[in-house]
Amino acid sequence: MNIPELLAEALPQDCVTTEAWALQSYGCDRTTIWPAQAVAVVRPRHIDEVQRCVQLANEHGFAVVPSGGRTGLSGGAVASNGEVVLSLERMNRIVDFDPVDASVRVEAGVVTAQLQDYARDKGLCYPVDFAAAGSSQIGGNISTNAGGIKVIRYGMTRDRVRGLSVVTGKGERLELNRGLLKNNTGYDFRHLFVGSEGTLGVICEATLALAPAPADPLVLVLGVPRFADVLEVLASFRQRFSLSAFESFSDNGLRKVCAAHRLATPLSTPAAYYALIEVDECDGAAEQAVAAFEYCVDQGWVSDGVISQSLGQAAELWKLREYLSETLAAWTPYKNDISVAVSRLPAFLAEADALMAARYPDCEVVWYGHIGDGNLHLNILKPERWSKDDFLARCSAVTDELGDLLVRHGGSISAEHGVGLLKRDYLHYTRSPAEIELMRGMKALFDPRGVLNPGKLIA
Amino acid sequence: MKALVPIKRVVDYNVRIRVKGDGTGVDLNGVKMSVNPFDEIANEAALKLKEAGVISEVVVVTIGTAKAEDQLRSELARGADRGIHVVTDEEIQPLQAARILAELVKRENADVVIAGKQAIDDDNNQTPQMLATLLDWPQATFASDIKIDGGKATVQREIDAGAETLEVDLPAVISADLRLNEPRFIKLPDIMKAKRKPLDKVELSEFDIDVPKLEVVSTSNPPAREPGRMVKSVEELVAALKDKGLV
Ligand SMILES: Cc1cc2nc3c(=O)[nH]c(=O)nc-3n(C[C@H](O)[C@H](O)[C@H](O)COP(=O)(O)OP(=O)(O)OC[C@H]3O[C@@H](n4cnc5c(N)ncnc54)[C@H](O)[C@@H]3O)c2cc1C
Ligand SMILES: Cc1cc2nc3c(=O)[nH]c(=O)nc-3n(C[C@H](O)[C@H](O)[C@H](O)COP(=O)(O)OP(=O)(O)OC[C@H]3O[C@@H](n4cnc5c(N)ncnc54)[C@H](O)[C@@H]3O)c2cc1C
Repeated sequence: MNIPELLAEALPQDCVTTEAWALQSYGCDRTTIWPAQAVAVVRPRHIDEVQRCVQLANEHGFAVVPSGGRTGLSGGAVASNGEVVLSLERMNRIVDFDPVDASVRVEAGVVTAQLQDYARDKGLCYPVDFAAAGSSQIGGNISTNAGGIKVIRYGMTRDRVRGLSVVTGKGERLELNRGLLKNNTGYDFRHLFVGSEGTLGVICEATLALAPAPADPLVLVLGVPRFADVLEVLASFRQRFSLSAFESFSDNGLRKVCAAHRLATPLSTPAAYYALIEVDECDGAAEQAVAAFEYCVDQGWVSDGVISQSLGQAAELWKLREYLSETLAAWTPYKNDISVAVSRLPAFLAEADALMAARYPDCEVVWYGHIGDGNLHLNILKPERWSKDDFLARCSAVTDELGDLLVRHGGSISAEHGVGLLKRDYLHYTRSPAEIELMRGMKALFDPRGVLNPGKLIA
Repeated sequence: MKALVPIKRVVDYNVRIRVKGDGTGVDLNGVKMSVNPFDEIANEAALKLKEAGVISEVVVVTIGTAKAEDQLRSELARGADRGIHVVTDEEIQPLQAARILAELVKRENADVVIAGKQAIDDDNNQTPQMLATLLDWPQATFASDIKIDGGKATVQREIDAGAETLEVDLPAVISADLRLNEPRFIKLPDIMKAKRKPLDKVELSEFDIDVPKLEVVSTSNPPAREPGRMVKSVEELVAALKDKGLV
């Protein structure tokens, strides 16, 4: 029997599809490098069906790609080797909410924005947020340990996770950490599954900690002529505020966003870089912001700046940052998502800048990122006349050099997007051989037959 | 040419408002307040005309609590020259506001009033019209384009069937609609400058606003939306719509 028939026999009929559009659409994420080549798409409604699917994979030796909103940028959810895609999208119920625990129990297919709205309705907040939140799913967020624009205050997805229900690659069901805040009973497997990119198990449910509702935001966009000074600006705002976001982007990125979305440029005089800063609106916040701005101007770090006067304007200013990733998609960019300690950013940047200029003389490079977290997104845009393969080969070579640079500065080759297929062969720039060997051991423990996401994260 | 632009402090457009438990109004406790969006558009229009050399001075006026000074300063930072703050904790209704503004227009000898078409808190859409009547000036409401030339204003306004173009003699009252312009962001250096711009405080007692007032009897939430029903096919959808007499 072939795989789709096996699945159709073991699972409710409408859970399995092999229609061409589905194989295509469920077979890729936001990377456009690998072609979709899935054999079937399974969309279970219940954890039992997830378990059955993984058990079948073990019995019959086929590979399974766990799949969320497929907004991933590293190819983690790509099925290009005849795998079965296991989409959690129908498991999208918010199961339970407890105001005393300030936590919520959700199925893995709940869309990130759906949870954000739900928390807001309850007078609380789910603070993991980024431009793909309208499509990405909680299971995908946990599996990639998603970061985003509020990490500086609230941490990564990992910091939200209080409990998980998973089906391991072996087909076992585990209830991890019981939603507890305190539970010192030995090895905490929950954290192994956070960021495991679907290689150890399928996340089916999660208990997530919610945060108190934030104050209204006050948003500033400042023009910063030299990149290194963005960090000076960060330091001086940090002294005065508990920041809720500190983002940065280059002028060429801003101009592309404004053109694509018909937005007005925020400043009348452009600067090479911009800092977008969000703080809590409260009495005196605007005065403090003006004082911090004045100081930065006096130091020669900042050339100009605007400040939101209403929630609508705060949202308008955020668009300049939030629309970047999707706007650049038109140029099929090669994305480097790197991090170093914030304090090492200037030294790292000086060298990275020189490397980019030397290695990509023909390519436009757009920088942006969660600077407050030491996280830079370095987007290399494909020149129109270059073929996709040539471009990719060139970029891969430069990634090796970037990897060497990151080793010297103690940084990471993937800050928040994960490793997937895109960064797999560069893992050794961040993780030691001993660590990678232990990762393999762990994979063998939870997924002895290697049925879950083979070839992703580790070769 | 001198323009007068009224500014109102209102609940921020993006706030999800809550009706007070006892139905006496909307709960404003700790709620973000901003400039009425239509007033921002009106001021932006006045400033564009100033930049084009048509208007020489823009005076922004607010009637409201001490805190409304924040909104007045915002509009000074946008570029207005001078502010007038009629300070009161009293709730001011359209006819009262129109009377106060009419008096200020006379005192200031203004040539044109550019106002927002309505305030988003009470949605009255009355003050500019009442003001024009009290002054016996022509009015051009819901402007989506304003041109001023040789003592006349040519105003395009949005109407149900399309656009209508009016020509009015100045002085006149013009009210701004959403599509008139996109207000600029406020620059931080201008916030500093705005602190030093002249701002006169005026007592409410200087104005005759003894007019009959509307009384709010109660405030309530809109009825909750009925939950939707999932249908399985187009046929079922059409049948359901027919059942409700919608097709
Ligand atoms: C415009 C845009 C902006 C972005 N901005 C950010 C950002 O600021 N910060 C950030 O961190 N990321 C960002 N991303 C990347 C992406 O949105 C995140 O990685 C997100 O967490 C992926 O979620 P998803 O549901 O789409 O996962 P998918 O892409 O479907 O999957 C991602 C990985 O998780 C695995 N997986 C998915 N669901 C499960 C499950 N239930 N159990 C086990 N494994 C599973 C997949 O196999 C894959 O390896 C952005 C992406 C876009 C397109
Ligand atoms: C009065 C009092 C109050 C306390 N209150 C609290 C409290 O509020 N919260 C709380 O969590 N605990 C509390 N404890 C318990 C205890 O203090 C903590 O568990 C503390 O973290 C133990 O630290 P220690 O250095 O004394 O470790 P030890 O008692 O020396 O060792 C504890 C464990 O750690 C291992 N270990 C020690 N050092 C290392 C190392 N370098 N590498 C690997 N393993 C190591 C040991 O093998 C052992 O298993 C309290 C204890 C007392 C006496």
